Amino acid sequence: MVTPTPGMMEPGGRGVGPTFSSSQEGSSTATTMPRRECPGAGGRRGAGGDRDSIPMGLLPPRSESPRWQQHDLNHSGYQIDQATHYDTTPPVRLPSATAGHVSMRFRGSRKMSLFPVGEAALGNLGLSEDDIRNEMENEEQILVKELVAMSTRDRIKAIRDLPMSFDDKKHIRGQVLALKSFKKSRQLNCFSDCSTSFSLAFRRCGANMTSARQTLELWRGTMKEVGGKFGTGVLSYFKFLKWLLMFNIFSFLVNFGFITIPQLIYHPTPDIPTGVSFKGLEILTGAGYFSHTVMYYGGYSNKTQGTGGWPEYNMQLAYFLTIAAYMVLCGAALIYSMASSFRKKYVLADSGLGGAWQLLCSWDFSVTNERAVRQRKNNLRIQLKESLSEKVQVALLPLTERLKHYGVFLGTWLLSTGMALGCGASVYFLCQYDKSRTRQSADKASGSLLEEAATLLLPFVVSLINLVVPLFYSLFKKIEHYSNPRMQVYAIIVRNVILKMSILGILCYYWMKDVANTFSCWESIVGQALYRLVIVDFLFIMLGSFFGEFLSNVIGTKCIQSLGVPEFDVARNVLDLIYAQTLAWIGIYFSPLLPVIQIIKFFILFYLKKVSLTQNCQPPRRAGRAAQMQTIFIAILFFPSFVGALSMVAYTVWTLPPSDKCGPFRGLNTTFSAIQIWMDDLNRVDAFQWTVWIYQHVIRSEIFYFLVSLIILVFIYIFRQITQGRKLLIILLRQQIVNEGKDKAFLLEKLQTLQKSKQNKQKNKKQVRKRQEKESTGMLQALLARQRLEQEHGDSSSSFGVPMPSGHSVSTTSSAMMQAMLAKQYAEDQDVASYRGVPFPADPAPASSSALIQAMQARQRAESQNEDEFYRAPVQSQNPVNALPSAMIQVMQARQRAESEQEEDEFYREPVHSEHPVSSMSSAMMQVMQARQRAEEEESEFYRAPASSQHPDASGTGSALIQAMLARQQVEEEYGDRY
Amino acid sequence: MGNKQTIFTDEQLDAYQDCTFFTRKEILRLHGRYHELAPHLVPMDYTNEPDVTIPLALIVSMPELNENPFRNRIVESFSEDGAGNLSFNDFVDMFSVLSETAPRELKAIYAFKIYDFNVDNFLCKEDLEKTLNKLTREELSPEEVTLVCEKAIEEADLDGDSKLSFADFENMITRAPDFLSTFHIRI
Repeated sequence: MVTPTPGMMEPGGRGVGPTFSSSQEGSSTATTMPRRECPGAGGRRGAGGDRDSIPMGLLPPRSESPRWQQHDLNHSGYQIDQATHYDTTPPVRLPSATAGHVSMRFRGSRKMSLFPVGEAALGNLGLSEDDIRNEMENEEQILVKELVAMSTRDRIKAIRDLPMSFDDKKHIRGQVLALKSFKKSRQLNCFSDCSTSFSLAFRRCGANMTSARQTLELWRGTMKEVGGKFGTGVLSYFKFLKWLLMFNIFSFLVNFGFITIPQLIYHPTPDIPTGVSFKGLEILTGAGYFSHTVMYYGGYSNKTQGTGGWPEYNMQLAYFLTIAAYMVLCGAALIYSMASSFRKKYVLADSGLGGAWQLLCSWDFSVTNERAVRQRKNNLRIQLKESLSEKVQVALLPLTERLKHYGVFLGTWLLSTGMALGCGASVYFLCQYDKSRTRQSADKASGSLLEEAATLLLPFVVSLINLVVPLFYSLFKKIEHYSNPRMQVYAIIVRNVILKMSILGILCYYWMKDVANTFSCWESIVGQALYRLVIVDFLFIMLGSFFGEFLSNVIGTKCIQSLGVPEFDVARNVLDLIYAQTLAWIGIYFSPLLPVIQIIKFFILFYLKKVSLTQNCQPPRRAGRAAQMQTIFIAILFFPSFVGALSMVAYTVWTLPPSDKCGPFRGLNTTFSAIQIWMDDLNRVDAFQWTVWIYQHVIRSEIFYFLVSLIILVFIYIFRQITQGRKLLIILLRQQIVNEGKDKAFLLEKLQTLQKSKQNKQKNKKQVRKRQEKESTGMLQALLARQRLEQEHGDSSSSFGVPMPSGHSVSTTSSAMMQAMLAKQYAEDQDVASYRGVPFPADPAPASSSALIQAMQARQRAESQNEDEFYRAPVQSQNPVNALPSAMIQVMQARQRAESEQEEDEFYREPVHSEHPVSSMSSAMMQVMQARQRAEEEESEFYRAPASSQHPDASGTGSALIQAMLARQQVEEEYGDRY
Repeated sequence: MGNKQTIFTDEQLDAYQDCTFFTRKEILRLHGRYHELAPHLVPMDYTNEPDVTIPLALIVSMPELNENPFRNRIVESFSEDGAGNLSFNDFVDMFSVLSETAPRELKAIYAFKIYDFNVDNFLCKEDLEKTLNKLTREELSPEEVTLVCEKAIEEADLDGDSKLSFADFENMITRAPDFLSTFHIRI
């Protein structure tokens, strides 16, 4: 049953059905008009002749028929929309999509536009049902063929992306599969059979895997709840948290699997010196008992394991390669997600859209909580009011005021940077103190609880700085006045990042310069310090959410009402997460099991934040731009955070001497020497010569890195130039659109004056001329016009073979089109004009049919007059037709869209150029035709709405006329599409 | 499906997976939700594709849609008969377009349909006013509404016809990166 427009097949189905079937009936019985004697006016006449066959009762005025309206929405209307707009959109999509895909889409959309309208048009032209079906199937076959030619994956994607209902998609899919299996069955062999069933099984298996993954998906319900209550912005924090958790789970699995398990297999019990036992405080400090276990670098042996029947396992290599692989994979994942996020969310974003964006794009469909919806509406209202008032007072601030603002900016930036540096310095001195204290306690080796607790001082201070200083920074927004609230958020983010990174930088410096030269097993010491930082940071985040959210909620609701319920500060919280993750990355070398702590931390944090959020916070006032913020966060996670951690680890591995007495690399000059030793070993085996060669000539050769960076630089430069070019192009194209708009306005003006003068002359002529004569000349003119237009069209489309089509040919075509439009428009105006005399019929049905015949004749008459007159362009007079401007606008718009598409087409598709111009030309034609049909729709709407009409006579024309117009419009729409 | 009752055949599920952005598990979950809405209407067994529709009033009572200001428009846009009655296929379609993985173009098409209240394939001032009233609980004064809508059209209208065509709309969407994540209903 399923056809792309099921309505056609099902009696009483959706919308198009009745029109079609009844017009069929009509055309087979009533019409005697000559049909299709020529492609131009004759066709139109034929269509006009069929008007009486269209049952009026089935085409009620739109405003009174929600059903029809709905149908319009669902099928024809939507599809027209599809076609008209889809064809214009490739420029936007082109750079990212493959050409084949686009053409498929294009065709798919065109097909959809043709179906509902085309079928009825054909029916009116007296074609049999079979013809229509053939036509439909042709279109469908083309789509199906294109789909068959694709690979399975592409095809599924293409089918999914088709803007059709599920039934239609299923039908297309069924056809594609049938065709495929037919093709297969012709080459009857076992292999293809097997491969089909195999691929099916494979795909089902893949689908099952996805399902299973979704079952394992963490916190789906919670995410939905948070999103429903607080919107996408807050949800992005939780998504980020979850994403980081995945990183840590991965790193835990890798480290545990390749480093810890082998170590535990060969040395099940750690070598714990006597006198050290588990006291409980270790969970906080990470020192004492833990420092001798596999938690830290020091707990691993440097032996090549494998005595006593176990396979050989080189701990040094395992340690080094695991960490390196993890870092590389992390970096790749980060770069990938950062790049895709940038591409999807940032590239085209600009701040130029205020009101329209707020109106049409800002509503968060995922919000399902009643209170949240109410609040959101309130916020939106306030923002809109604000933006309105801003519009009113755009006056520039006086110079003194501006100077004051700049002064404040300078002051706050100096203050914040100074504070960051001050904090860094204080942390450094604290580190020095810590070092001397640790040395003393190491000498004594007593390990009392108090001394162990004293190690917590440094992480405590660091976390305190991280908690307090950002709060202080957020006070700045009281005195700063950024014109854009986003600038404010960026400023806060940058300050916080500077603060956190300067502290971490100082700590790293201290570890690598001082700790590495002072202590015997320094890697473990660093690992412990990081462990403490991670733990204490966790405690402070908990405290922070208690004080920051719970207390301010209590204060806001109980004590100082003006403060209100706090908002969840996504930026601050995400920065905390980034900081925590940086610690984990730095620590990966010194403490391979640190990810365990991190996993536990993030897991608890998720629930903690969720509870704190739902109990204490309200949804953020300013919605939106969450996607951009997310991109920025990923970028921050990559740039200072990951890159910083990586360089720290890389420096340690390449240059610092590992400690002599513990750890897998004891006795080596640097950690990297492990590789050197391995290569020397391999050198003795002939089969591995290539590895050695790669090592010597690629990894250790400067020239290789030099060349690689050179090539990368060149690529960056080229891509940058391309980006610049595209930007320029975008500006140009925008400018062109604006120009076209002006063009259009100018032409409209001209048209109106022309029309005014024409109307007068027409009145005079009407009485003088003989109708027959007029009709024949009019026909001739119309034919001529059509012919000319087609010729021009042909010319221009053939001239599109050259790479840069001259805009000239386009414009000639479109001007011809315009003239044709114009002629038709006039005709239609006349139509109405000559109809004004028709009295209001008592019984609409019979009256309308006779009226229709009259209408037809009158129209032909009018057409002849008009086209005649138009081409001669005499001085004419007043005709108060108000529908025309909008109709013309439509045409112009279509033309301009078509042209811009042409341009874009050329720019983006230069290499795959050969066939496209023609198709885009035809699409341009289609655009115009569709625009015309839309214009006509509007025109008729205009006539249908007496209240809004500025015609004095419009109300008098009566329902018969309205119906006639409707019917005609329908027919012409169809005709237009067919053309 | 083992001991469970068969709701769909494997072929049906394959078709759903190929034509929508859902996995079979999600399809089954959607069927559960659909069944929940009208247990007496919707059979558990869908292997013979029963012709069942659920009226708009029941659909919009879903918690996912209940508070959405555009709930009626959403449902109407996806219903095959236009009156808001959704068959299961329409229902799947709706959440497929609103799912996270649906591409921007597809979402844009349907968003345009949803905002196009009077179905004239343009977002005219009237549509924007309706949208605005739905978004602000009709608390803005008529002058403010007009002003905001005019401003919005002025901003987004590229071709100067003082209404937004789909091209204008899509152009705006491409510059609003949040749209992908906000035009999204979790099911």
